[in-house]
Amino acid sequence: MNLMLQIWAGYARLTRRWPGFAAIIPFIPVLALWTAVSEAGLFPRAFFPGPADVLRAFVTLTYKGILPDYLQDSLIRLATGAAVGMALGIPLGILIGTSRWAHRICWPVLLFFQAIGDIAWLPILLIWFGFGLTTMTFVIVYTVLFPVVLNTVLGVGSVPRDLSRAALSLGASRARVLWEVTLPAALPNIITGLRNGLGYGWRALIAVEMIVGTSGIGFMMFDARRAGSTVEIILGMIILGLLWYIVDAWILAPLERATGQRWGLVTS
Amino acid sequence: MKTLSLRNLGKTYFDPYAGAHVTAVHDVSLDVEPGEFISVVGPSGCGKTTILNMIAGFIPYSKGDILLDGKPVHGPGPERGVVFQSFALFPWKTVLDNVGFGPKMRGVPKAERDRIAREYLALAGLSHAAHRYPNELSGGMQQRVGVVRALANNPDVLLMDEPFASVDAQTRMTLQEELTRIWQERKPTVIFITHDVPEAVFLANRVVVLSKGRVLDQIAVDLPRPRVWDELVKDDQFKQLSARVLQMVRAA
Ligand SMILES: Nc1ncnc2c1ncn2[C@@H]1O[C@H](COP(=O)(O)OP(=O)(O)OP(=O)(O)O)[C@@H](O)[C@H]1O
Ligand SMILES: [Mg+2]
Repeated sequence: MNLMLQIWAGYARLTRRWPGFAAIIPFIPVLALWTAVSEAGLFPRAFFPGPADVLRAFVTLTYKGILPDYLQDSLIRLATGAAVGMALGIPLGILIGTSRWAHRICWPVLLFFQAIGDIAWLPILLIWFGFGLTTMTFVIVYTVLFPVVLNTVLGVGSVPRDLSRAALSLGASRARVLWEVTLPAALPNIITGLRNGLGYGWRALIAVEMIVGTSGIGFMMFDARRAGSTVEIILGMIILGLLWYIVDAWILAPLERATGQRWGLVTS
Repeated sequence: MKTLSLRNLGKTYFDPYAGAHVTAVHDVSLDVEPGEFISVVGPSGCGKTTILNMIAGFIPYSKGDILLDGKPVHGPGPERGVVFQSFALFPWKTVLDNVGFGPKMRGVPKAERDRIAREYLALAGLSHAAHRYPNELSGGMQQRVGVVRALANNPDVLLMDEPFASVDAQTRMTLQEELTRIWQERKPTVIFITHDVPEAVFLANRVVVLSKGRVLDQIAVDLPRPRVWDELVKDDQFKQLSARVLQMVRAA
């Protein structure tokens, strides 16, 4: 009992000091199970490699420079897609959210195209643009766009009416209200949209890289399948999860929480 | 300072669910002198908020006129400041920037509008909270900010719709005393809507009683100022006035 308490206290101190640990510790049993299964020799090594094999592949691929290059390619594609998606999505969302006419015209079209999943565009994109960057970018922008637009519309629609009224009766023009009230009030929603959009975009990117790619993490995994290299496939999967965890838990979620709390729109 | 006049003001809403027209304000005429403090009372649904929203320019009126120094008003404008029951502070701005918002919209440079904002914050005893955010303040403090934010813009008329309804009773009394003090210092024209009859009498020069979209009666309140609750609760004239207004509201 006493020992349990001490372990608990130690854990609390440790995670207070390095919050990252709190995220790592739950994976220890997963890793242990994986090691146990692979060491038990139930499956051939080449078919079911252990953590050590994957780690070795990681070191080799990093050393050769392949992994850093591919990772960079994937991230740049995602970032470009996200930037374009936001540049289109936020203004569109604000337009639809503030203008009844724009809403009437754009909303049905938006829902129609949202239903056509990103990957469903690939056949026609491949005919139009071929196997290349244009096709990939299109798919990422497409995936990021909808969550950003829909959440921006939601955010704009939920701006408290009294806030816009207050700004107007303090002498703000309609344009100033948009900039000083509507946009900041919708910001937490916009960030939520971006967070969802990046999540979908990251998954879509990997899928597209498998089909279209000549580089990138998705390409690496699909290419490894041809060589029958399970190690590289598993390495790719781990990188996908890890990278998203870092982006979401360390950047996007805190951003969302910070705006939501400071704005007071979440708590009160 | 300008005179505010309501001339045969009326408002009819269309209720799309009932498919019918609802007349919230029938025929209201009222002249407000510069520097006057007017309280408006009346039973729920008699059109108080509707009148205030029309003066503020938030909703259009259906008939009659609203004149500020003889000129008709349409739409919101900085010469008519509003204090909201919901406070309506900008949660992403500090208290200082909230109060400086009006001057900012007029194009006053940063240093000057900070000076103005600090001056008004001092007036409400809020100097220490200048760099805090609204959600870090109590309700009473938030509404103090709401009041000085409107005042810092130097409006001709200050419109208040049940501004103290959502704070606790003790804080409300303090806020009422502060408001009379600030009003005496600055003499803005105020239209103050409330459900609370003693509050209406405590604050006003004149209490307007509304009933079903019409002015039922008006009562002048010439209690001496400065007014403080400790004295007024014992004051016979105050008690008589309050009783009279209360009777009217209940009969309305
Ligand atoms: N947007 C609207 N559409 C239709 N009817 C409305 C609308 N706003 C108000 N009304 C009606 O107009 C009448 C007056 O409403 P108003 O809000 O002005 O009353 P009030 O005196 O402020 O009431 P309270 O004391 O409860 O705040 C009510 O009967 C109300 O139902
Ligand atoms: Mg009302």
